[in-house]
Amino acid sequence: MVTRFNRLKIIVGVSDMRVSNDPHSDIITYSLGSCIGLVVFDPAVKTGGILHYMLPESTLDRTKAERNPFMFADSGIPLLFKETYKYNAVKRRMRVLVFGGSQILDQKGFFNIGKRNYMALKKILFKNNVLINHEEVGGNVNRTVRLEIGTGDVFVKTSGSSEVKI
Amino acid sequence: MTAIQILIKDIKNLRPMPVIASQIIEMVDSSSASMQDIAKVIQYDPALTATLLRTCNSAFFGLANPVESIRDAVSILGIDQVVELALLNASAQTFNRPWKGYKLHEGAMWRHAVSSALIAKDIARKIAPKSSHSIFTAALLKDIGKTVMDKFLQISSDKIQVLIDESGYSFIEAEKKVIGTDHAEIGAMIAKIWKFSPKMVKIIRYHHLSDVTMGKERDIAIVYLADCISMMMGLGLGVDGLAYRFHDSIIRDLSITPDDISEIIADFTLNMQKVEALLHVV
Repeated sequence: MVTRFNRLKIIVGVSDMRVSNDPHSDIITYSLGSCIGLVVFDPAVKTGGILHYMLPESTLDRTKAERNPFMFADSGIPLLFKETYKYNAVKRRMRVLVFGGSQILDQKGFFNIGKRNYMALKKILFKNNVLINHEEVGGNVNRTVRLEIGTGDVFVKTSGSSEVKI
Repeated sequence: MTAIQILIKDIKNLRPMPVIASQIIEMVDSSSASMQDIAKVIQYDPALTATLLRTCNSAFFGLANPVESIRDAVSILGIDQVVELALLNASAQTFNRPWKGYKLHEGAMWRHAVSSALIAKDIARKIAPKSSHSIFTAALLKDIGKTVMDKFLQISSDKIQVLIDESGYSFIEAEKKVIGTDHAEIGAMIAKIWKFSPKMVKIIRYHHLSDVTMGKERDIAIVYLADCISMMMGLGLGVDGLAYRFHDSIIRDLSITPDDISEIIADFTLNMQKVEALLHVV
């Protein structure tokens, strides 16, 4: 019997992306600080993925963005959607959830990378007519996010607390 | 016995760092010992030599041919790198276990320590190359106080959380309010007992800038910034998360801009796979 404990765990590292349509798999990203974990899931084809990016704009360094496009919002987000389309996912059916973007206390303005990461995401999704279904963003906590591909359920664990189903 | 008295007793009973580690730290701090002197000390410690060679031959360095002696390691990687690896190997056992009070699973405190040390070294190389060894070491050991505070956190973390959520305290301010001391103060006490240099004791004591004027001292400011960057990157965070104070004026005084911080994050990220290899082999 496949349970939470013996399902395939697909880990999304820092500046990384993973997509799956294996109903016996979970996609997990650990400890989001100021980074953003973007979760997408199309229930019709039971396909979903997580992108874990660190920084808002690839204009910072194009060469680094070419080496790892998942590091930045603007180069990573389109790739997450495109990867799910390979499994026949459709944008308008997609559930979209956003986590992370935390900040250190009193971290303001341009130094506030968490907020800039979130604003970059909002801009890109708005331009592409994608609505966010759920978000847990900001504050000064770290978050771990898990997506169950079999059900599309998403779970979040915050700064040492227990895991909560969204 | 008050909490403070218990803490002091615990500090005195704390298993000291391996002698070899204290010896290396002392030599790094001292202006009279050369890097070659430190290499000699290392090669007379068989256990450290063995783990050090294993680390040198890990994916972190990607060497074409394995190194077989400390002398080889020094000639291929450079003496600076070998000394830093020796420090990592020698301090791993102090950090690399779960800490229930801070809700740090096994390896998390170690991940935070090593990441902070590597980031601090990167910053120091650019703006304070002469101090880079002691900055690396201080960044590696800055949270040593958490190892003693952990059992108090198991009892007090709920109260601390309330002060953060409802009264705008930072984590370290709340620790001080609830327990009567904080992990930076305790860390400095441990560093003193372990006979670290006054400079190292000071960096550990003020690594969260609980006295913001201390940020005027460049080495303290560098370790502080490295800690902030590790927090932003979510590297080895526990119950304290990112609940510390950010002082942009201190960072501007180092002539570090927001773009510089993004560059440091990007560089570190590109090396992440190598860092993972290093974390697991040490």
